[in-house]
Amino acid sequence: MHSIWAVARNTIAQALRMKVAGVVVILLLVLLPLMSTILVGDGTLQGKLQTFVSYGLSLMMMLLCILTIAISTYTLSNDLRRKHIFLVVTKPISRCKILLGKLCGILILDAALLVVFAALIYGLTILIPHLTDAPDAQVKQARDEFFTARAGLTDPEDEDEIESRAWKIYRELKGSDQLPQDMTVQRALTELKAHQKMLARSVPVNARKVWEFHNVRVRDPDDTLFVRFKYEVAATPVDDKVHGVWDVGDNRQVERGLGGWKTPIARVTRSDVTRTMLEIEVPARVIAEDRYVGVVFHNTSLNETTVIPQEVELLYRAGTFTGNYMRAVLLVGFRLAFLAALGVSASTWLSFPVAFLLTMVVFLVGMVSGFVGESIESLGVLGNMVYTFTLKPVVWMLPRLDGEYSPTRFMVMGRLLTWSFLAQVGAIMVLAKATLLTVIGMWIFSNREIAKTVV
Amino acid sequence: MAVEGSEYAIETIALTKIFRDWWGRAKVIAVDKLDLKIRHNEIYGFLGPNGSGKTTTLKMLLGLLHPTKGAAFLLGGNGRDPRINERIGYLPEDSYLYRYLTARETLDFYGRIFGIPAKIRRSRIDSLLEMVGLTGMANRAVGTFSKGMARRIGLAQALINDPELLILDEPTSGMDPIGTRQIKDLLVHLARRGKTILLCSHLLADVEDVCDRISILYGGRMQVEGTVESLLRHREEKQIVTGQISTAALQQIRQIIEREQSRCDISSPMDRLEEFFIRTVTAAQEQGQATSGALSTTKIGEFLTDQSIKPNILDELVAAGAPQIHKPQQADTEKSEPRTVEPQPDTDLLERLANAGLGGPRTETVAPQESLDAGGGEDHTQTVKRDVLEGLIGRSESDDGRTETVNPDRAGDKDDA
Repeated sequence: MHSIWAVARNTIAQALRMKVAGVVVILLLVLLPLMSTILVGDGTLQGKLQTFVSYGLSLMMMLLCILTIAISTYTLSNDLRRKHIFLVVTKPISRCKILLGKLCGILILDAALLVVFAALIYGLTILIPHLTDAPDAQVKQARDEFFTARAGLTDPEDEDEIESRAWKIYRELKGSDQLPQDMTVQRALTELKAHQKMLARSVPVNARKVWEFHNVRVRDPDDTLFVRFKYEVAATPVDDKVHGVWDVGDNRQVERGLGGWKTPIARVTRSDVTRTMLEIEVPARVIAEDRYVGVVFHNTSLNETTVIPQEVELLYRAGTFTGNYMRAVLLVGFRLAFLAALGVSASTWLSFPVAFLLTMVVFLVGMVSGFVGESIESLGVLGNMVYTFTLKPVVWMLPRLDGEYSPTRFMVMGRLLTWSFLAQVGAIMVLAKATLLTVIGMWIFSNREIAKTVV
Repeated sequence: MAVEGSEYAIETIALTKIFRDWWGRAKVIAVDKLDLKIRHNEIYGFLGPNGSGKTTTLKMLLGLLHPTKGAAFLLGGNGRDPRINERIGYLPEDSYLYRYLTARETLDFYGRIFGIPAKIRRSRIDSLLEMVGLTGMANRAVGTFSKGMARRIGLAQALINDPELLILDEPTSGMDPIGTRQIKDLLVHLARRGKTILLCSHLLADVEDVCDRISILYGGRMQVEGTVESLLRHREEKQIVTGQISTAALQQIRQIIEREQSRCDISSPMDRLEEFFIRTVTAAQEQGQATSGALSTTKIGEFLTDQSIKPNILDELVAAGAPQIHKPQQADTEKSEPRTVEPQPDTDLLERLANAGLGGPRTETVAPQESLDAGGGEDHTQTVKRDVLEGLIGRSESDDGRTETVNPDRAGDKDDA
């Protein structure tokens, strides 16, 4: 361990001597406090907080990732180029330990910088409400929707039912020869399924739709639940608003028609604009004993048009903002660990600029991995062996840094980042991928000629 | 796998290295079927012109390059084995030090890799810094050092573990004469403690001064190998060095030699420039003149000298694996005996000189050595103690008028004798 620690210490010293480290530190020290004052978002307190955390975390992640890539690809390749490594490898330390020492040094530095700047962002976020003269309503909104960690439940659509309906209509249209000549089966089914989904979500005038949520676990029975949704409409209403009646609670009691409800049902009547995410707040007492909550939407005759409630979700407080923030920071740490392993591994066989470029490309592809993955995955439809043994492993190795893997999303939305999700990402990104990259790097470094000369 | 009782400290068997081009085609045969056998407790000079394969051989020994064919062994094991690396010190042809580390941090870094306990490490670093004359620059970044100062730190890092085997590639390159002299003294001291030293150098005088055996490499092949004495001594010629004597005495000597039907050249000996330089700088140092460079010192790290073994129990424990003195193998190879080559006086000639009744003090005669240096500027006269000659001619003189020549590169030996 002493030799690994010696190399780690030297790597930290080497990294701190790099100008890029100083630039990153100064940029963050200047920009983060500046952003906390100049960013305003949509003008509300919550908007300001969301904008600051979103930009602040993104900036920190981006700069730390670039710094990690720069250090990890520079440290070993520079030792090789300047031949410092001659003196190190001839000491009683295996090449694997040299690599581990480099990696440890980078991770220690990353951890230190991450803790410092994450603490700075956290402190500024906590400070913003105190420095802003916001109305009480906005403070409450920020507390309920931002300074929280809410879990969200959805009522999944019955895909089988939608598909069977789509097939039935397809056969009818095919039988009556109503399908366009050049339309493929796949395309026809895709369009028919989209249509059926829209129909399933639509609520005609004077009709209602029920969403059912199970296993709703609140931490405090006196807490509140939130129904989150947005309206789409078949025809734009005169006043551009939808007049809706929402019942939240155990709606099965109404359907059973028995008197003496065990749990209350909250009714909310309100008019809201369309195409904007909205929330209805109700007490958690509406949850049934079996942790069931039904959400019923009534399309009143005032609307005179079919209303399509979209993305209906039941939210409840499941953790604290601080706990959630720490987990988000850990998620950032995982991606830094992956990039460090990739950078060090690449520099065992590539020179600095090439290793830097490769790692940057992987990082940038990881930022849009959802799109890239889907694009490449479409090649897999062919199901050939070439794809299975070439592109598929490469796609698997790519880090997932966007979408649901983005810590910013959790913090801005005040969504719970669960320990289980964190463990899953850690297992895949660090234990599997980063470890594999490190092992590959160790193998290459252990077997390469340190003083190789090509004439 | 290290073999404790291996016969040779360094051994190569048909070691071959072929450098290839980008397409994998063999382009340069850097080392060609090299068989090298260096015994324990030997200072071995590895010579050759640029591109002769010296450094390539060292790199293969240390595992920095893979041999194309053949095998290389260090202390009976593989040069890439950390257990072997624990027992060796290596100074490459350039120092390759981290420029951002200070001299102290540099030594601390390598000391930590060796796992030397903090207390001993600090003590050794202080000792080494003092030895290489860089105590005043201990907290200066190595990147600001001159080449010679960097070489001193490079040498210090090679000694941090008190190695059993020292591999030095051009150790005196870029060093001032005092540093060069100090390194040569150090090598002699280390060899006396049982260390084995492989010295690769272009500075032939340095190699000649300290090495027991040398080999000359050319085109990747060993051209010649043997003891310095056996390769350089002119056995067919003799040289006499005396103090101030009269013209008549000189004439008598000339006549005696002419009676032997041999050639006789008479001239006044010159100081070696190295000696003159050292005297000048030492005088300036003694006057306390300031310098931002390395201090010239003749000190040797305590833990590297015989005296250092006693005081620190911890150091003893740490050093336990390293400083075992290996007796040179007496096997079938020739023995390069002494590091202190005491020339034997030609007793016949001395007797004749004594019988001729020459006046004044006399020094002994030895065979002049042919300088390895093509420039040939220096006269490496070997001498014996003056009292030996005086005893032989039955006289004892005052200091006046004596010429005392000592081999400066054996000065350390003489001091310790």
